[in-house]
Amino acid sequence: MIDPIEAEAISEVDTPPFALECHGLSKKFKTIQALDQVSLTVPSASIFGFLGPNGAGKSTLIRIVAGLIKSDSGTFNIFGRSSLTGYRVRQNMSTLVDRADFYKNLSAFRNMKILGRLTGHEQDDQINRLLDLLGLYERRHDKVKTFSQGMKQRLGLAQALLPEPRLLVLDEPTTGLDPQGMHEIRDFILKIAAEENVTIFLSSHLLHEVELICSDIALIFNGKLAAQGAMSTIFQDMQDVVVELEVEDSEASLKFLEKSDLVTGVHPLANSIRIDIGYKNIPELIRTMSTKGINIFSVSQRNRLETFFLALMDKK
Amino acid sequence: MILHKLIINELIKIFSLVRSYIGLILFTAIVPLILWGYGMGTSHIQGQIENSVSDMFFIEGSPTNGFTAAYFIMNFFWVHIPFLIALVGGDIFAGEQANGTFRIYATRPISRLSIFISKTIATLIYTLIFVVYFGLLTLGLGLVWHGGGDMLVFQDGILILESSDAMRRFFIAYGLSFMNMALVSAIAIFFSTMVRNAIGPVIGTMALIIFCLMVSTLPLEIFRSVQPYMFTTYFSNWEQAFYDPIPWRDMLRGLNLIISYLILFLGIAFIIFRRKDILS
Repeated sequence: MIDPIEAEAISEVDTPPFALECHGLSKKFKTIQALDQVSLTVPSASIFGFLGPNGAGKSTLIRIVAGLIKSDSGTFNIFGRSSLTGYRVRQNMSTLVDRADFYKNLSAFRNMKILGRLTGHEQDDQINRLLDLLGLYERRHDKVKTFSQGMKQRLGLAQALLPEPRLLVLDEPTTGLDPQGMHEIRDFILKIAAEENVTIFLSSHLLHEVELICSDIALIFNGKLAAQGAMSTIFQDMQDVVVELEVEDSEASLKFLEKSDLVTGVHPLANSIRIDIGYKNIPELIRTMSTKGINIFSVSQRNRLETFFLALMDKK
Repeated sequence: MILHKLIINELIKIFSLVRSYIGLILFTAIVPLILWGYGMGTSHIQGQIENSVSDMFFIEGSPTNGFTAAYFIMNFFWVHIPFLIALVGGDIFAGEQANGTFRIYATRPISRLSIFISKTIATLIYTLIFVVYFGLLTLGLGLVWHGGGDMLVFQDGILILESSDAMRRFFIAYGLSFMNMALVSAIAIFFSTMVRNAIGPVIGTMALIIFCLMVSTLPLEIFRSVQPYMFTTYFSNWEQAFYDPIPWRDMLRGLNLIISYLILFLGIAFIIFRRKDILS
């Protein structure tokens, strides 16, 4: 009746190319179509940003994958294992869905122990190591009801790492945190992705956060997938991006840019020039400016993801 | 097998809540009080008993003792205990929903069946602990306080039970009480799977019990045909343990009905829980 949880580790050699594959996932809540035939793939060892405005369907998809709700149709695989296998599909996955809530009358250590027992990871030293890693070791015997939201969120990450997952699904992990807390969580995500070789699936509506840490992204609007790809390639189809140039001779540069066919808008700033330009035209513009003898000290894209996001929203 | 670990988890959760101790603390306070009051009124009760039976029996010693005290307390409390049991059973699923802890617990690679079974078994263990504690407190403390001896039972006449026989019958009575309270737990679990707050299931359980109790006790013709099928009709079946002879056939029929209802409520509760979307 009750199957044992096999400690089935996936070795480096046989790691499938995709940590998560969703095929035509749909979910309707009464009259609202929360997800509509969503298919996406999350490459193994990536930090995958899942973006969308509030109510777009991000949490619905995550809850389906996490086993909290059932989809009306569609399936998904986690490291090649199908959702048709039931709860076993989540063997190599761990989640932190929304705000981290715990058994308030129990200590952080006891909470970890309870959750560790579910997968056979209740060893004291393992729990202490994670609490130490998340900066909660000194407070491990305090009841969770005395914790701040930031501490609960860190405990949420600790419990998610306890089963040594290969895929870590985080739904708005920085919700309710102050800027320092957000920074700490971001650094931690980067650290575990690099050191523990964990694939991170990160849902967020904070575009800047995603832009800072994610290698791949997917965008969802009104329950439908709008775009998906690697950060390095997804912006190539964008019409215009905003670029800030720091140049030596701003007057000469300004004249050149205003005449250039590559640039669609020029906005002089105090110490730099902001331009609107097609993403693919950036290299050519830099080459041309160099041949014209204009020294460029820096080229930086401003709010690239935000521009991309808003452009997609306009299309929808 | 991971099930025993899940049951340990559920017991830790149950006993981390203040509400789990309310009934136990209440009984710890009130049972000694009743036993003390019983002792104070013993001479009056004894006088009444002696007056009513003195023309038939020669009474040596005290007809009021630990057995009669425990019997008296059981008569008084069996309608109140369901509320205290429902406090825990009603919280077992709804409490996790309300606190948001299911968002973490239910995402682990364990089946909902395992979660359901472990929660149900833990609730039944709590119910058993409750009944055993109640038994120890009433009978154990009653015997220590008021002593043992033969037990007088007034049930369609006077029945005198030897102390060893009385003890055996008390065990049967507590066993039947446990089954009745297990059904109360099952009803509370059933309501607990349906709502997201812990108060709703307690109110739902008590409302259902009070309604069924009315149907099964009101001497109206309209209810007479359904009364044998109401589980509340058998809630006082523990009294049958003190009949002479013990009506085993009736007792077993009542027990079968209680178990059938228990399976029915738990079955529906599981179906609800299995299909439930955890949104909050």
